Amino acid sequence: MMYLVELTKLFQKARVAGSITMTMKRYDGRTKPHPRDGTPAVKNPEYKCLIRAQSRSKKLSTVVEQREVEKFSTAYSNLLKTSVNGLKRLKKPKKKAMATQ
Amino acid sequence: MTFIPNWEEFEKSAEMLYLRDPVNTRYSVKYSHNKGVIVAKITDNKKCLQYKTEIQQDVRKIDQFMSNLLRHMASNDN
Repeated sequence: MMYLVELTKLFQKARVAGSITMTMKRYDGRTKPHPRDGTPAVKNPEYKCLIRAQSRSKKLSTVVEQREVEKFSTAYSNLLKTSVNGLKRLKKPKKKAMATQ
Repeated sequence: MTFIPNWEEFEKSAEMLYLRDPVNTRYSVKYSHNKGVIVAKITDNKKCLQYKTEIQQDVRKIDQFMSNLLRHMASNDN
């Protein structure tokens, strides 16, 4: 998927300096503003998920449809697992294991 | 802009916040590689909850919550 390819590049660019923000929200698929009279812009929407990423001035976005959720979710998680790796790793305390022996 | 010190509490409150108003709630994750910090944030424009961590193992939790949310957002559940 194009979005994930671009996101990977964005992560690489942000490694040296700066940060990267990923946002998600529910999306009803509307392409017009909400009507002023308060009626919904999309009647009986089939909800999707709008996903965005931003780093410095570069912005990416994609829409995940209901039928794509499983596939996208797996790929997205894998990407994060490989890209977000600059944090401290806590060593698991071994005391507990020794105590139970 | 409250930071919640413990993940379980953040996740529980975040879930409640989302379920109260799924259409207007967004979840965002900010990662800074060189600072070695990741912040998860959820807001419905009225209330905002944040969780900040420097521990790699927490990424899995943040990611897991994101997958759950993604599944719910792209569905017609309420």
